Amino acid sequence: MFKMHRWGFRAGMALVVMLWTLAGAEVGMADPAPDGQGKRYENTNVILVTLQCLRPDHMGMNGYRRDTTPNLDQIAKSSVLFENSIAQTNLTPVAMMAALTGQYPRVNGLISFDVTKDSVASRTMPEILKYYGYTTAAVVTSPEFIMRFDSQSGKTAVNLRDVFSRGYDEYLWPRRHVGRSMRVVPTESLDWLDQHKDKKFFLWIAAGSLHPPYAATVPEPDKSMYDPPHYTPFWRNYFPVSGNEGGPDDPTIDILLRIWNMDYYQGFKPVHHLTPEDVAYITARYDAGVHYLDKFIGELRDRLKKDGLDKNTLVIFYSIHGKMLGEGGVFVNYDIYENVLKNLLMLRFPGDQYAGRRIDDLAQGIDILPTLLSYLDIPSEAEAQGKDLMPLVKGEAGATGNEYVYIDRMPWWEHWMSRFFLEFKFQDPLKRNHPPSEDQAIEAYEKMLKQEFPMDAYPPGDIAIRSKKWKLIVRTNPRLLEKVAWPGFITGKPVHIPDVELYDIVSDPLQAHNVVAEHPRVATELKAKLREWNNAVELRQAPYHKSGEKRYIIPYP
Amino acid sequence: MAITRRDFVKQAGLGAVGLGLGVSMLDGLGRTASAFADQIGKYKDHNLVFVSFDAVQAAHVHAFGYSQPITPTIDTVARQGYKFDKTISVSSWTVPASMTWFTGVYPCEHKLVNKFSVYAPPVEKIAKMRELAPSIVTLAEILKKNGYATGGFTGDAGVSAIFGYGLGFDTYVDNVKFGGLDQSVPKAIDWLKQNKDKKFFMFLHGYDAHGQHVPAGGYDYRFVDKGYDYRYKGTAAEQEALREEGLAKGKLDMRAADVQFWRAVYDEKINREDAIFKHFLDTVEALGLTGKTLFVLTSDHGTECFEHQRIDHGYTLYNELIHVPLIVKLPGGGSGVVGHQVSSIDVMPTVLELLDVPLADNIKKQLRGRSLIADMQGGGGPEDAYSETDYRLYTFKRSLLAKDGWKYIHTLENNGRELYYIPDDPGEMTNLVAKEPRRAYEMEQRVFGFFKSIGSDLTAHRWETGMNPVYDYQAKIYEAKLREEHKL
Repeated sequence: MFKMHRWGFRAGMALVVMLWTLAGAEVGMADPAPDGQGKRYENTNVILVTLQCLRPDHMGMNGYRRDTTPNLDQIAKSSVLFENSIAQTNLTPVAMMAALTGQYPRVNGLISFDVTKDSVASRTMPEILKYYGYTTAAVVTSPEFIMRFDSQSGKTAVNLRDVFSRGYDEYLWPRRHVGRSMRVVPTESLDWLDQHKDKKFFLWIAAGSLHPPYAATVPEPDKSMYDPPHYTPFWRNYFPVSGNEGGPDDPTIDILLRIWNMDYYQGFKPVHHLTPEDVAYITARYDAGVHYLDKFIGELRDRLKKDGLDKNTLVIFYSIHGKMLGEGGVFVNYDIYENVLKNLLMLRFPGDQYAGRRIDDLAQGIDILPTLLSYLDIPSEAEAQGKDLMPLVKGEAGATGNEYVYIDRMPWWEHWMSRFFLEFKFQDPLKRNHPPSEDQAIEAYEKMLKQEFPMDAYPPGDIAIRSKKWKLIVRTNPRLLEKVAWPGFITGKPVHIPDVELYDIVSDPLQAHNVVAEHPRVATELKAKLREWNNAVELRQAPYHKSGEKRYIIPYP
Repeated sequence: MAITRRDFVKQAGLGAVGLGLGVSMLDGLGRTASAFADQIGKYKDHNLVFVSFDAVQAAHVHAFGYSQPITPTIDTVARQGYKFDKTISVSSWTVPASMTWFTGVYPCEHKLVNKFSVYAPPVEKIAKMRELAPSIVTLAEILKKNGYATGGFTGDAGVSAIFGYGLGFDTYVDNVKFGGLDQSVPKAIDWLKQNKDKKFFMFLHGYDAHGQHVPAGGYDYRFVDKGYDYRYKGTAAEQEALREEGLAKGKLDMRAADVQFWRAVYDEKINREDAIFKHFLDTVEALGLTGKTLFVLTSDHGTECFEHQRIDHGYTLYNELIHVPLIVKLPGGGSGVVGHQVSSIDVMPTVLELLDVPLADNIKKQLRGRSLIADMQGGGGPEDAYSETDYRLYTFKRSLLAKDGWKYIHTLENNGRELYYIPDDPGEMTNLVAKEPRRAYEMEQRVFGFFKSIGSDLTAHRWETGMNPVYDYQAKIYEAKLREEHKL
């Protein structure tokens, strides 16, 4: 104003023009093509927000009946959304390490829940970004990334130098509990942002709050906002098995994994058939968790804007995997079901570049690292196995996603149970939460699992291939799986596991009809592809334990 | 005139791929045209003598900067011809490195990366290039097809005919293991006398400087310090024990005097080899062949004399092992020094262009390197040099010595990463990976990218010491061999 007064109108105009030019330059900076001068890694921040267990179909923007995700929906308008993003597997740590290394689970080495700090030799996302001058931090409320079973002590403990912590300047756990659950919304990440906004940073916000016990850490009234009126959870009528992580009304994993085919089991008998109201309650608590986490996402968005970070920060929203909410009568991610494998992958580019782009090509977890590096102008990690999706994002002619994605169902559900879930029951009186009538059977079951899965033996797994239309699952040891299967054990009814399963996931997303007999040609073709992939993976398989294989050095001369 | 020269250099610089075009244009202009008098011509139907002074480190040749004048003959040839000051070998031991001269492809392509393609006793299979890489054609095969008499006179061991080194040779002598020029030169001279009226290609090779070779009649210790206590005598057995101890323990514990002794013995061997080579050159001259013969003098790899606490070669890719001498002497004279970095991968395209041999398409496609004629004429420029070693399954290493002086070595079995800046640290002593993680990362990506581009995806396998079979092709041989043995 002062200047305008002094130099008059013409000078004022010049100033306006200059400001206009500057503004234009700023927009230009956010645009692509830093031809030769300036690489994106020089001034682009990266935030990876993992929303563990978020199902895309429970988001408002995907037509969900509840307005669960108003903030994510709004961010989606300025983001690129992958509508067919498939998790590498059904279990959190294994699926996440695949994303962080760009390598399939058996290649990066994280294939079970009992891993040590050094069991993954592959380079991870923060390690590479550190080479490029990034300050790296993680704020973690998913216990999967800080708690690990130690095969020597036989205990599970918080370890901030866990395998996931490599490459971080700060690996932060808020140490905040609601009740006994540490699965809180990671609001501390906002403080970290305020303190580090002037640095070039990579921040992993690992939200664990969507995992069961659903909404356990959500305060009222949000917690019960979707509850059916006057509802009392059915499990309160039976022996209390909630476990120690949630309150008596919270749907905990201990309760959910006793539900099969909509029946609730105790004493290896169905004691309650779930009513639509029961399902509605569990779903309501899941949705309440989503809604509460979405509020935090709104705060994150506003904070980025307030701190001026939205122009130079790439935000990746990734849900790692989904959950079952009663489909097929199941409430846990026991197998590689569609609702478990379909996850959220959304990239909000600096300055809203590529805003609103929707990509329906198949993407998988291991694609995230190569895509990020490509965007940042960092040479690709040669050992990464995923696909650079930037050509798709940019809409380059001829760019395609994956024709097939591959799933390592690794380890079996029963393997992680044997490693700490069941173990706990006998070590920690607080966790001895089964009815006395089950005591002997559970102890025998645990013993059997330990025998079938020796400590240093390679964990069992199944493999699968998925195209846009088909999913083919090959069970590597179906008879053993039948023998150890948790659903068979807890229901007291033997399960039959087909050797090969083929599903038309477009018409049969619940995987109710195995059509391997009806489509032998498709099955043969997919099996061949799957075998080819499996052979390549086996050649690169990370060593799990020292094998007794004899080694020979060629003698001289 | 200047433009003409530049154009010529450009044309020559097209290398093997552009050879056909370049040659016809030259012929059109006329070979005798005075405009080319100061240029490197083509030597169609001239002889080629290719000499490998096995295991001679460039830094131990006087012409390449060694303080001691132990190589007067080689130095003379270097003055008379073109000397390449910074030649980097594709490998650090004989079997993989030497075949690259004769095929123009990297070891992972000709696949002679070890003496055995399968070594898992009782299953053993000798590596044979023709079986492992059937489409690869050798220099001797090409020259033979072009009417050359071909003779190889070698010290066996790493260049034994059994691996494929004999392919294309009418005569290939490999009857004395770790034989020196004292063994191979007399046979070479006999053959020369019989073939002097033909056009010929001779491969002359001696293990004189190698750790497993002791000069005929023993050492006279001409360069050993007067006061040395002779804890070591310089025998092959001693050298072998030290070599294996260095491999087993990772490093040797030796007194400075012992290191000096081994270096002096090495010098004596080179010095004696140089003298025998003089006798060979004198004979060539006496037979009147000097003016019709193109000479290539080089070495497949160096020798480590405790630079990195080990003795011998093969296990690492440090410069003492991959920086080799290279001299090209032309029949019509002409001399110069190429000061910038080139690779042993370029030797075959250079020789073929100098000899003006027409190349079939498959051979043009085969050759990875480039002709260095432009460089000999003052043009060209430095290039990145990639090297590799899978030495005896002890280790799997890949390296890049970039033209800007940065060097990266990747050890595949343990993801060992080493980064050096050669201008400041020629001894490769200070690993800068922690200090320059980004540069190391980027060079690692270049190494992996390069090997992938030539068909060797380093990420496709798990690399483990002593693990065999390592490669798919080995697995196939292994299975076939097992099947065969079960039938028996």
